[in-house]
Amino acid sequence: MSKTGVFICHCGTNIASALDVYKVAEAAKAIPDVSYAAEYKYMCSEPGQQLILDAIKEQGLKRIVIAACSPRMHEITFRKMLKKSGVNEYLLEIANIREQDSWVHEDTGKATEKAIDLVRMAVAKVQKNEPLKTSFIPVTKRALVIGGGIAGIQAALDIADAGHDVVLLEREPSIGGRMAMLDKTFPTLDCSACISTPKMVDVSAHPNITLMTSCEVESVSGYIGNFKVAIRKKAKYVNHDICTGCGLCEEKCPVKTDSAFNRGLSKRPAIYKLFPQAVPAKPVIDKESCIKIKSGKCGLCEKICPLGCIDYNDEDRLVEEEFGAIVLATGYKLAEWQSMYDEYGAGRFPDVIDGLQFERLVNASGPTEGRITRPSDGKEPKTVVIVKCVGSRDIKKGHPYCSRACCMYAAKHAHQILEKIPGSRVFIFYIDVRTPGKGYEEFYDKTRKDGAVYVRGRVSRIYKEGDHIVCQGEDSLLGRQVRVNADLVVLETAMEPSEGSAELLGLLGCAKDEDGWIQEAHPKLRPVETQVGGVFLAGVCQGPKDIPDTVAQASASAAKAIGLLNKDEMETSPMIASVAEDKCSGCGACEPICPYKAITLERIPDREPGTGRKIERPAARVNAGLCQGCGACTVACRTGAIDLLGFRNNQILQEVDALWP
Amino acid sequence: MTYAEKQRLMRDRAAALIEDGIVAYIIGWRETRFPDKTAVFFARDKDDAERLVWNEYAVPLTAKYMTGDRWPDGKIGVFARGCDSKAINRLISDNQIERENVYIIGLPCEGKSDDRCLTCRQKDPVAYDELLWEPDSASPTVAGRGRFFRTEEVEALGTQERFDYWEDVYSRCIRCYACRNICPVCTCRECYVDMHRTGFQGKRQDTAENRVFGVTRAFHVGDRCIECGECERACPMGLPILGQTQKIIKTVERLAGDYESGMSPDKENFLGKFDKDDKDAFM
Amino acid sequence: MAIDSEPKIVAFCCNWCTYTGADLAGLNRMKYPENVRVIRVPCSGRVNPQFILRAFRRGADGVMVCGCHPGDCHYSTGNYFTRRRFMLMRELLEFNGIDPRRFHARWISGSEAAKFRDTVTEVTEMIRGLGK
Repeated sequence: MSKTGVFICHCGTNIASALDVYKVAEAAKAIPDVSYAAEYKYMCSEPGQQLILDAIKEQGLKRIVIAACSPRMHEITFRKMLKKSGVNEYLLEIANIREQDSWVHEDTGKATEKAIDLVRMAVAKVQKNEPLKTSFIPVTKRALVIGGGIAGIQAALDIADAGHDVVLLEREPSIGGRMAMLDKTFPTLDCSACISTPKMVDVSAHPNITLMTSCEVESVSGYIGNFKVAIRKKAKYVNHDICTGCGLCEEKCPVKTDSAFNRGLSKRPAIYKLFPQAVPAKPVIDKESCIKIKSGKCGLCEKICPLGCIDYNDEDRLVEEEFGAIVLATGYKLAEWQSMYDEYGAGRFPDVIDGLQFERLVNASGPTEGRITRPSDGKEPKTVVIVKCVGSRDIKKGHPYCSRACCMYAAKHAHQILEKIPGSRVFIFYIDVRTPGKGYEEFYDKTRKDGAVYVRGRVSRIYKEGDHIVCQGEDSLLGRQVRVNADLVVLETAMEPSEGSAELLGLLGCAKDEDGWIQEAHPKLRPVETQVGGVFLAGVCQGPKDIPDTVAQASASAAKAIGLLNKDEMETSPMIASVAEDKCSGCGACEPICPYKAITLERIPDREPGTGRKIERPAARVNAGLCQGCGACTVACRTGAIDLLGFRNNQILQEVDALWP
Repeated sequence: MTYAEKQRLMRDRAAALIEDGIVAYIIGWRETRFPDKTAVFFARDKDDAERLVWNEYAVPLTAKYMTGDRWPDGKIGVFARGCDSKAINRLISDNQIERENVYIIGLPCEGKSDDRCLTCRQKDPVAYDELLWEPDSASPTVAGRGRFFRTEEVEALGTQERFDYWEDVYSRCIRCYACRNICPVCTCRECYVDMHRTGFQGKRQDTAENRVFGVTRAFHVGDRCIECGECERACPMGLPILGQTQKIIKTVERLAGDYESGMSPDKENFLGKFDKDDKDAFM
Repeated sequence: MAIDSEPKIVAFCCNWCTYTGADLAGLNRMKYPENVRVIRVPCSGRVNPQFILRAFRRGADGVMVCGCHPGDCHYSTGNYFTRRRFMLMRELLEFNGIDPRRFHARWISGSEAAKFRDTVTEVTEMIRGLGK
């Protein structure tokens, strides 16, 4: 006799009108393990709960079954209630006799019979329930933000403003990301640098933010509240502690190599700042192009530096840092259209450029100081063709998804061309025009009124004819072929997950969707969380979006991170997997099943059977901080050595057996 | 080469490996008092090596016997045919033995006088440190019958007939667990049947419980079964149970294409991974 | 058998999808046969095929395993393992002479109350037809 009490709720008439609660109570009393049974109008009400608490005291009840509404409704209520009694809150089972019985059946007799079965199952299960304890894990009150674009910057600032230490990690020598490359932002046409550089400076000046540029994540271990991250500080070859960023070295450097920031439209020296407003405003040496590092000759920058900052022997260093929360803001890269679209010249024509190249061309601090010219001959183009959806919405050659921002920046590009080059003509090839955003449709409308010609259809071929770049495509509204003799062609190419994002997700144990973007924990209800507890996401790394959406998402993920970091310790559910090490054979079948990488095979000390010699053997171990309690691992275990607390094998078997008493 | 010549090679090589200290002992076969049966034998010295035999009755699997010595003082030498080598791979991928503790002397097999060899697809060892003689390229497999003929014979029956077929088989099962004990992939520290507190297996000795055991065993062996047929060979009641486990392998093949367990020591089991596009006609 | 002629069906339902869907069927006052007995598990990946064997062993006339649709698992990948395990188990049961109409694995989401009702109704009818 385990002194189990069964409490049957009428739920007003919700239950009592559709089945015989008194008969259920009578039947419950007849179950051998049950020492007390009662019914009441509303078990969840104050007096209902008191009735249970009194019965526990008076009857000395050890385990509780409540037959009422769905456990998804009031399990937590009743657990809280039990905390006030002497009974552990996990020695409780709920029989769902409302949602899954009284509400769905019409035959009172059969519904009653079913309710008795459900009670019997709950009583059987609760016999095998164990007292469980909620545990608390301490939270390291520091956040790591990975990626120093506008998403990472915003998230870092928000978390830091809330009073928590933040490390903002960026693999490039400067933060700023893609937004720093842009000229103007739609639809307001405010200058991108004017709104993003103050934020970059805020980051560098914020007392709670540690900026780590030229750094990459090497490995991640731990779990929510307690991550250990190994960070590779890539060699800069310039001592930033003393460098003032005077720029003499950059002037003297004899090397000229393609500027990635200017998308290959200009050259930069081997010792360089990413762009003039870079933060930190100090140069680094690119070892791939530095003559001194490659061949030992040169050394000009070292000679010219008045402070002796240059150190050609600088090396990568690994540091380990601890964090409570991680925000992923790894952004995007543009699709390599050259390898996808042979019919567009595959990169053979210098005057076929992508959207970011155009941004650099039109930017006052860019390679042409803002004059829109053709890369091939520096002439001002009179006719420009803009092609949208290059690599996006193209299942055959590119990606199925829409890159979302291109419709608007295509309109912006058209507007800028028409404004800067008097008498110019702009043709935009499109599939659809998508302008969902505040002021977006109005901006698109304005661009058309400015004179941009929208042609609905895909460009099928781009080729060179004399001085022109010919764009040939179908105008699908008029149903005829169109040819435009252009001087410059701008391809608005698809966004893709940035380089190395798959590897980073692997280190973190985060899932990616079929297009490689980070999989959010729930597409609607948990859009800024990943499946890994304590790891949040912000910006384009989750999927293409524009700047306003990116910033909004960054603040949202910051709020999530702040919510976590505000806690001193975190409550963890005790209903997680647990290994009986003495039974575990270490076969490792459970390990690959876990979606959270919570199971590791460890070598545990033991003694050899027979000889008693000290030995080590493999056994599975569950990281309580990572386990979410799904129990999928338990099925892989043939022995049953790994089991799920709260839903143990024998608890479920008891439920089955109870159906055939 | 004749059996006698091969046996000579085996004995000499075993003696040398033991004498040279490369292995602590070698697992092979010896004669028994039955002319048509051999037994697995641990040769520990030169004299033992002379007792090793190689003939058409050298049937039992050697690999499983290594699990009795998981922390050996020296390397365990083991004679391995195709089936043994697949079992060794399995034991390695199930973390039951460590490769560096084992010295595998590969024996390309001729096919033995046993039913299970009828469907052998791998006479030659798939893992070894040395091969004692060259594989017979003329007949790489024995395969007298289709790989899944045992399973297919039962599949051909109707639902009720299949039910009755197994009812008959398991009515004769005495739950001695010989099939489990001999199986190279049954390596749990404690078998689920003995985990009474968990209670997956009822203690009652009746056909229904025997059937639960039979199906559970098949599922546990499941995607790891190397189809060696030791279960059937060890069964004192002569029950046809290899077709039960092979049913799983056959299903895996149907779902995921070519599948043969134990061909390499990698740890990827069919049930340990998934494909988002897996078939699920019934869901 | 005449005394207890109504078939009994055990349904293992994941907490996040099918159990929620079943609750929703209740909220919507949908009606379905009384024969099903739901056992709540956190994830369909928690359902050990041996539970199904136990249910049949005890006398279940039908067994169902229900969880989130592929791609919708609350634990991201649990149901993909469910799918593999039960594709094998279903065939193994059939091989052992269990009529496949007595074992069903279904994806039923938290919003598919009607699918839950229809599935339970359909399975119950099917099993009634098969007899005890």
